[in-house]
Amino acid sequence: MIRKDTLLYKLTQLHWFLLLTIIALAMFGTLVLFSAGSSAHDLETGLLKIDASMAIAHFWRFTLMTVVMLVVALLPLRLWASLAYPSYAIGLVLLLLVEVAGNIVNGSQRWLTIGPLTLQPSELMKIAVPLALARYYHQMFAAGRSELWIHLVAFIMVAIPVGFVLKQPDLGTSLMILGTGCGVIFFAGISLRVVAILMLIVALMAPVVYFFGLHDYQRDRIHTMWDPSADPLGAGYQLQQGQIAIGSGGLAGKGFMEGAQKELEYIPEQNTDFIFTIIAEEFGFVGAMVMLAAWALAIVQGMIIAGSSRSSFGALAASGFVVTLMLYVGINIGMVIGLLPVVGIPLPLISYGGTAIVTVMIGFGLLMAVHLNRTNDMTLRGLL
Amino acid sequence: MNRDWKNLFPSRRMIFLGAGGVVLVGLTARLAELQLLRQAEFETKAREVRIKLEPAPPHRGTIYDRTGRELASSKRNFYVTLRPEVAGPIGDRQQKNKDIADVIERVGRLLRLTDAKKRTLLQDATTPPAHRDILVADDLTWEEFAQVNVMAPELAGISAEVGELRSYPLQSAFYHTVGYVAKANEADIQRMVEHELTLADEVADSPEGKARAGAVRRLYKHPAMRVGKQGIESYGEQALKGEPGKVRLLQNATGRVIDRLPSEDLAGKPGVDVVMSVDAELQNYAIQRFGNEAGSAVMIDVATGEVMCMMSTPAPDPNLFVSGIASGPYKALREDERNPLYHKAYDGVYNPGSTFKIVVAAAALETGAMDPNETVHCSGKAWYYNRFYNCWRPQGHGTMNLRSGLANSCDCYFYRAAEKTGIEEIAKIAKRFGLGHRYELGVTGGKSGVVPNNEWKLNHPRIKERWYPGDTISAGIGQGYVTATPFELAVMTARAAGGASVPNPRLIVGGLAVPDNDITPMGEFKPGVLELMRDGMMAVTAGGGTAAASGSIDPNNELPAPYTGARMAGKSGSAQVIGLDKYRDSRGHAISNDKLPWKLRDNALFVAYAPTDKPRYAVAILVEHGVSGSRVGAPIARDLLAYALRNDPGAKKPFVPKARDVASADGAAQPT
Repeated sequence: MIRKDTLLYKLTQLHWFLLLTIIALAMFGTLVLFSAGSSAHDLETGLLKIDASMAIAHFWRFTLMTVVMLVVALLPLRLWASLAYPSYAIGLVLLLLVEVAGNIVNGSQRWLTIGPLTLQPSELMKIAVPLALARYYHQMFAAGRSELWIHLVAFIMVAIPVGFVLKQPDLGTSLMILGTGCGVIFFAGISLRVVAILMLIVALMAPVVYFFGLHDYQRDRIHTMWDPSADPLGAGYQLQQGQIAIGSGGLAGKGFMEGAQKELEYIPEQNTDFIFTIIAEEFGFVGAMVMLAAWALAIVQGMIIAGSSRSSFGALAASGFVVTLMLYVGINIGMVIGLLPVVGIPLPLISYGGTAIVTVMIGFGLLMAVHLNRTNDMTLRGLL
Repeated sequence: MNRDWKNLFPSRRMIFLGAGGVVLVGLTARLAELQLLRQAEFETKAREVRIKLEPAPPHRGTIYDRTGRELASSKRNFYVTLRPEVAGPIGDRQQKNKDIADVIERVGRLLRLTDAKKRTLLQDATTPPAHRDILVADDLTWEEFAQVNVMAPELAGISAEVGELRSYPLQSAFYHTVGYVAKANEADIQRMVEHELTLADEVADSPEGKARAGAVRRLYKHPAMRVGKQGIESYGEQALKGEPGKVRLLQNATGRVIDRLPSEDLAGKPGVDVVMSVDAELQNYAIQRFGNEAGSAVMIDVATGEVMCMMSTPAPDPNLFVSGIASGPYKALREDERNPLYHKAYDGVYNPGSTFKIVVAAAALETGAMDPNETVHCSGKAWYYNRFYNCWRPQGHGTMNLRSGLANSCDCYFYRAAEKTGIEEIAKIAKRFGLGHRYELGVTGGKSGVVPNNEWKLNHPRIKERWYPGDTISAGIGQGYVTATPFELAVMTARAAGGASVPNPRLIVGGLAVPDNDITPMGEFKPGVLELMRDGMMAVTAGGGTAAASGSIDPNNELPAPYTGARMAGKSGSAQVIGLDKYRDSRGHAISNDKLPWKLRDNALFVAYAPTDKPRYAVAILVEHGVSGSRVGAPIARDLLAYALRNDPGAKKPFVPKARDVASADGAAQPT
């Protein structure tokens, strides 16, 4: 008889296929960042130029977060269920503090400095909102409730943090939290008729929001998306140059470190939000599709994990995170290739920089925890 | 557990994955459109019409004199560049080099370049990297520029550009203080990179640091960019150069610039304008007054501490350096025995000779070592510590007191005064007179003269000996270890004239902060000490004094009030440049100083201030190998002071550049 509660046993039961997909994506990201810093024919000297500093930083950041992910995965799921409400409450308090005493960076109030720590509470909410909703529905279902009003309460739980984040203003993150929350409500079984009516209302409201609810710069971005050439030196410049890079990559790409556009510094933010332009330029349509396929694989695996969970908490928390993941990838690539307005959302595991990778790896950790605890139907007893 | 919900989940999952599939199809379709259907279009765009971000050299700040006259300004510059990758685009190395050589030959014919210049260009253009612009020629006439512009379509890789070039309208007058700019070499670029990284507090191997270093490097490699090499141009480089902007260049397949797309967000900031305290007219007059003599004149406004004139002559024309000076003329400058490249006023340390006697006089009185009426007998030589010390007048001066000692510059009197005061006290007073300090003026270079004492001698790396009593005797007449720059002598004279209330000297009055925190203050002297010393300085230029002929500045009462009838007070000095034994011919007879080779003659010094009743200007004159301070130096000092009193430059408030370029105190340009 094998003891099923040892660490070693748990490790063997990890979702290795998902883990390998994550590692493959992050290693691909490291490779792309290596290329972003380097060049086969440097503009200055015409010679090979190697700069691995971004790639190395990315690699270590990923390694560290992999450890964090495994810790999250191996701790009991009950613990995370217990922490769902407190983390949501802490997140709300921090958002309130940002509102009162946050730092303004680039005209937007997102950061909170507590002693040596700089926090971005909106990032915490990307995890806390689906957790809290999953916990809430778990409780409601256990009590045998499935009326419409429980979904209304859930929506209010989503709307409060979304309102705060929107006010910072951080349109990208607030849309992601809203999308994740609505995703969980959808998976929790809200009637499709209600969904249809709501979508109709949103469609009707969209023009009103466009003309009265958005900041000027947000409206500009949407306009630029339709017609990048209208403003070739301002907001449209980035987009136009990005599309030249992507388009000139062709089917097979120009080759590793051979991207010409990156060298000329045509594209601002190319190492962060616009990293996809390097992928598409150097690895071509084929390379871009392979990466998209890897993401699709991760998303499908995430949904399989969600479906296999016996507890509604596990199923809904897992689905919520998968929605987040899909929003990250879909919005980032959609924005870079000109299907969506430019909002500052990075490509997780690949873009250079800190916060997205933290959120995503903790999310993957939760997904794996759900997988390890899929047979546990989690009675309410003993939950915080 | 809710059964309904459990049964619902798979269908919800299918809807979600279906939506995901739609997203995936949407992204794929768009990517296929961009990368497969429209690839050719984007590839053309990427290759043919490239928008290139090029650093745009900012407008360099102007350097003005106190009246607003431009000492260093920017003029329009027509220049021609060559891009090797475009001149020789295809084929093997040999083919490329041949094409490049051909382009250089043809453009060389248009611009009448010398063969040597064409050879240098070819060598430069055929060394990698090929993606950069090489300066072919600048400072072209409009005709030359237009000709190249017309021919440019047939000259692959050649562009005719318009930019700015540094110009020094007063030519050699401010070579040493304003300095000059020239093309940056590798060492300059390295220095500027390090400087920028320190300013931005970034590490060289962080991604941000590398980006910053790359931007600095590209800016200084721009064909129209120059870097300050010396003087204020170098000291103030960071502020003067401004913030570089960027220009978007629309280029076609041959690299020819089709259009420039300037935009607000990429505009740079012009450099800070700098205002010097000097008066260019006075400086020009001083240079003209020196004529063919080599030397230096520094004048300070006693009331404000502002430097009115700081010149070193002869000097080369800084305009020669801006586009690069040929090696022949440069060698001639370096080997000229009158040292035109040397900043005599600031870098030149000389024995102050008898001008130092005013310090010794003040020290003797302040310490009480000598009573002003105490007399010393001068027989032409004096015996100290087992050897004779000669007075400059072999037949002797007879009985001397403080006043007549200064008036006649009697060495015997000052041997005694120095011996009784002691070197430590003399050194302290010399420091209080502003000697022994390198003044930070916002100009590169600069030296401190030596105010010697026992500690200095013990710590001197090549001497390492204790102070001998005989050293004090030589120091008493400004010989031996005592040295000073003409600038320090000017400060000494200003302090002698104005006392403790004289502000610290300043050469830059606007645009740059020039901190100098360890200037020794003059401090208060015992009552009567400075008055007695000044009385002695007046005696120097009065009847019977060494410079009696130069005492009256305004003999005909022509100067405006309050300077009508002004007189000057001063002190002469003549300092030996070689050991005494060399002043003898092969038979042992003494040779007159005038008959020695120029290089071996005494340096002539004169320090003076005027008017005597209410001192306003203090001046220090050095004429290299001018033989006699009183005969050569004093008339120059008198004429410069007369010029200054007539025009009174110090009374006018320094020029303030127009608001656009006004700088804050820390040297950064204000937002425009």
